[in-house]
Amino acid sequence: MSEPIDQLTAWLIPLAPLASAVIIALFGKLFGEGSHRLTVTGLLIAFFCAARVLVMKETSDGTGVVLRGPEWMSVGALQIFADIRIDTMTAIMLCMVTFVSTLVAIYASGYMHGQPGYPRFFAALSLFVFSMCMLVLSNNFLMLFVFWEAVGLCSYLLIGFWFSKPSAAAAAKKAFVVNRIGDFGFMMGIFLLLMTFGTLDYDSVFKMAGDVAEQHPQTITIICLLLFVGAMGKSAQAPLHVWLPDAMEGPTPVSALIHAATMVTAGVYMVARCTPLFVHAPTAQLVVAGVGAVTALLAAFMGMTQYDLKRVLAYSTVSQLGLMFLGLGSAVVSHDLATAAVTASMFHLFTHAFFKALLFLGAGSVMHAMGDVIDMRRFSGLRRLMPKTHITFLCGSLALAGFPLLSGFWSKDEVLAAVMAGTHEGTHQGYFKLLAAAGLITSLLTAFYTFRAYFMTFWGEERIPEEAGHHAHESPASMTTPLMILAIPALLIGGLLGPTGFFGNFLGHTVGLGHEGEHHLHWDVMAISAGVALAGIFGAWLFYVQSPGLAKAGRTALAPLYHLSLNQLYLDQLFTWIIVKPLWVLGWIGLMIERFVIDALLDFIAWVPNLVGKALRPLQNGLVQSYALVMALGLAAILAAMMLR
Amino acid sequence: MNEVCFGTQGAQSRTLGASRADATESDGKHAGRVDVERDSSGGMWNRERIVSEAVAQILGTVKYIVPETILILAVCVSFLAGPFLVSERGEAPAGLRHKWGWLALIAITLSGLAWWNQSAEPMNYPNGPFQLDSLALFVRGLSLASAAILVLIGWNQIDDAHAAEFHACLLLISAGVTLTAAANDIIALFLALELVSIPTYVLLYLPRRDAAAQEATTKYFLLSVFSSAILLYGMSFLFGVTGTTNLTAIQAAITTGAGGAMPAVLLLAIVAVVAGLCFRLTAVPFHFYAPDVFQGAPTTGAAMLAFVPKIAGFVALLRLIAFPVDVSRNSNWSLVGMALPLLTVVAIASMLVGNLVALLQTNVKRLLAWSSISHAGYMLVGIVAGPTTTGSVNGTDALLFYLVAYGAMTIGVFAALAALGRGGRSYETLDDLAGLSQSHPAIALLMTVFLFSLTGLPPTAGFLGKLNLFLAAWSGSSVSKTLAIVLAVNAGIAAWYYLKVVATMYLHPLRRPSEGKVEMPALVGLALCAAATLGFFALPNLLWTIIRGS
Repeated sequence: MSEPIDQLTAWLIPLAPLASAVIIALFGKLFGEGSHRLTVTGLLIAFFCAARVLVMKETSDGTGVVLRGPEWMSVGALQIFADIRIDTMTAIMLCMVTFVSTLVAIYASGYMHGQPGYPRFFAALSLFVFSMCMLVLSNNFLMLFVFWEAVGLCSYLLIGFWFSKPSAAAAAKKAFVVNRIGDFGFMMGIFLLLMTFGTLDYDSVFKMAGDVAEQHPQTITIICLLLFVGAMGKSAQAPLHVWLPDAMEGPTPVSALIHAATMVTAGVYMVARCTPLFVHAPTAQLVVAGVGAVTALLAAFMGMTQYDLKRVLAYSTVSQLGLMFLGLGSAVVSHDLATAAVTASMFHLFTHAFFKALLFLGAGSVMHAMGDVIDMRRFSGLRRLMPKTHITFLCGSLALAGFPLLSGFWSKDEVLAAVMAGTHEGTHQGYFKLLAAAGLITSLLTAFYTFRAYFMTFWGEERIPEEAGHHAHESPASMTTPLMILAIPALLIGGLLGPTGFFGNFLGHTVGLGHEGEHHLHWDVMAISAGVALAGIFGAWLFYVQSPGLAKAGRTALAPLYHLSLNQLYLDQLFTWIIVKPLWVLGWIGLMIERFVIDALLDFIAWVPNLVGKALRPLQNGLVQSYALVMALGLAAILAAMMLR
Repeated sequence: MNEVCFGTQGAQSRTLGASRADATESDGKHAGRVDVERDSSGGMWNRERIVSEAVAQILGTVKYIVPETILILAVCVSFLAGPFLVSERGEAPAGLRHKWGWLALIAITLSGLAWWNQSAEPMNYPNGPFQLDSLALFVRGLSLASAAILVLIGWNQIDDAHAAEFHACLLLISAGVTLTAAANDIIALFLALELVSIPTYVLLYLPRRDAAAQEATTKYFLLSVFSSAILLYGMSFLFGVTGTTNLTAIQAAITTGAGGAMPAVLLLAIVAVVAGLCFRLTAVPFHFYAPDVFQGAPTTGAAMLAFVPKIAGFVALLRLIAFPVDVSRNSNWSLVGMALPLLTVVAIASMLVGNLVALLQTNVKRLLAWSSISHAGYMLVGIVAGPTTTGSVNGTDALLFYLVAYGAMTIGVFAALAALGRGGRSYETLDDLAGLSQSHPAIALLMTVFLFSLTGLPPTAGFLGKLNLFLAAWSGSSVSKTLAIVLAVNAGIAAWYYLKVVATMYLHPLRRPSEGKVEMPALVGLALCAAATLGFFALPNLLWTIIRGS
């Protein structure tokens, strides 16, 4: 059908963004406000190549290909090559990442206009895309880990972009530290993997997984659980989700790209990639499903009462990621349904990227117009002021809420169908009944809080905070155009690829995933979830448009629940008291030991050489005769010593 | 070093020995030996034969020194034509220095091309004055590279009227260093070493003729002559014991025990030779001139003095003392065996004294002088560890690797000082450098790279160099293990004063505002040094290939 994948096309995908990152980092001052052109060019090249790869031979016929890179390291028997791997799952991820990031970069050129550090922003953004592409292209766990860390670093740099703002610096630090906790588990998982399998290559590991599982079923389970800890950190699963809402301190395009559409899905991608391992660890899969369900429900609950528009979206992201893990975990139900479950999660990841990026960019557009105010209590009724933002935001909200026939509807429906299959099949029917209930309640809450945010922002009387000044206006074309482009996949891509079975068949070629077989439409699930979504939207309309008094009444009636939700279950406070404070005391003790024991000792050690140096100094008196004399004496002394020896 | 081994064994198998040894050498092809005693019985015919053989040997080895010949031709042009372009009152057309600079660079390039086309050869003329093995080739490359960088650093440091002599001296010094490495005869060796010394006197005084430079030059001149005398004295004993000036023959004679009759004399010879060479290495207790001279001399001169004499000194030490001994035939009378205790003590003293006194310095050039003394100590560790260690890297190779790293980082710091100090007072005290990161961020960054390398931190060649030396010493005897520990402790002490300079550049407020543009040629030299410092960390195998001659 088409030509095979060549090295140039494949490598250009990560290297074009890397090149723009390096050029901007080195010569950023020269480009100034034109830096985004380099980034956009690099990303366009990457997107073009990714799209080409999508239709090239090895991806379209499903065989996949590993392109041998240079040897990276060779330690004992372990040889690591910087290979890149392209199969259907990779190709889909690459297209999604490069497409969304190109639009976000264009949007950011408008959003970041006039900000100090403009080139720095685009350098970090390009570096992020490079790292994310390499993460997806990795062919072994070590490279996966390296770029896993690299995307974390870029995320840190970008959350703390306004580093002079204390809250931004603290949020960046928090994100990094919480992620390290997950990374610790991930690293242990990789070590155990290496010890058990003796290799880190995907293909070899996956090929051996069955045999190893027969011999050491426990080991596989532990490996999978450790890997999942890593995924929990990166994909913000409870209780490691606390960094993501704070990460909203970063510039909004960053929230859209990194903390909604791409980086946070790395955990989901990794678990999906490791399906051949996870199928041998049913316990781990049950844990994945459980954690996913709990996270989905809790995050949706916390999202109900937030007043910060971006935080609502952040909790919604956490919640949706929870749904994806719930779907991945549901692969445990039966071997026949495993592929359908993983496909459903990946499909939800894929559609979610578009509408969540759209929603964040829309929120950014609002924030831009409102003079950086994002508290929904301070503005309302913006639908006439910002028509383009309003319509595109509505598209995104409908998709997220699961409005029938839009993208979110199809993908969420498939995830729920995979979970519901567990309620009448397999060995854990009771457990899955709980999970399915959590999934449905999450859907209801999602529809509710999404439209709560939408109605609070765009409906009601028109109010504008004074920070916006008198020139509150629709955002420039560089920002609205990406919104409009993103609205199209947010509305349609689910319907085009999902019910037609196109996505499932394409992804099914990936190693470890079987063919899905006949693609079913789950009419029952569709009916239920459509009903739930409409109920949620109607509820939000009732509370926030029709009779706003009801919302206030609800708040007072359910005060304890309301405060629990508003304060995010007091998790931050809990962590502060049980983890941060004790560590702080430990640190203080360490500091005292450092100051009064080690420093004193070091000062003493440092004082001795100085003293000896001072003692030697008088010899250096500047007189040539004395130098010659000392040289001659030295010669004589050496000679005498040698002779007498 | 394999070629050296080869040559030595070849010499041993022929039992060339001393002049008193059997003189019936009849190996037709290149049997000749300039042996004066023989013609007392030989008469005219014999004398003619000897002369023709000597001429054949010299002609046979001339092709070994083509790169030096090119350099010296350029030197002749500079010295002869130079005075005619300057008026009697010492005025020269503006920009003349650029022309001489280009001439020097072209000569170095041509010489480099000649070097590139040479390859190590087995010793076809074991009795000739020159040889061409991998060590000679390595030193030649290193010397040419450092000469090119020094020409760049000195480009604008010299006025138009004296540029011809200045660059000619640099080329002469470079030729002297490579001839030291190629020498196969102690006379040639000594002459080559003097070819380094004598132009140095001129070089130290030419660029800046003030009282400080005058004092520095005088000190260096007197002490250098003194050390040359000691060296020559030692060499005369070496000749006296073995009866020959040929290095191959001397080595053979000593390893086969020909000098066994007079161990005390041999010992005297060794002590004097090592002492004479230690002056060039700035090893304790022959280091006294270094701080005064480095501080007083102009920056290019100091840069040259910090590095080039060290190459010559270490190469001469390798050729004279530390030649590899065939282990299977090892006798008790190996020079290196006798010199080891002496070199060990000198190494430890150099490391300790150099680093401890450096802690107190506030003048960067003086600080670098003490740093240079301590680095001489580090590199002597390589000599003590020797060419036959069992670990992953042997002492001699580690020394040669370190020599390159040391050259790049030390000349780099001087190049940075030279690039900054256009006109006016040069940058040399810590106060001058305070806040440099604000006025010259790029130069401050490169300085930091060099200082990190001097400290021995990755990602620099200095880190690999110290690591290699440590590993080589650690795999040796208990003495060399002790040296390895002393080296590690000293590297720790040294970190304090190097990093103090970094801290001054980055953390202190700016004291001396920028004085216009930086020197372009010096900047190029600086970039080359930085490329070497970082490059040989990333790709050390490039260097190993040249060092190991394979």
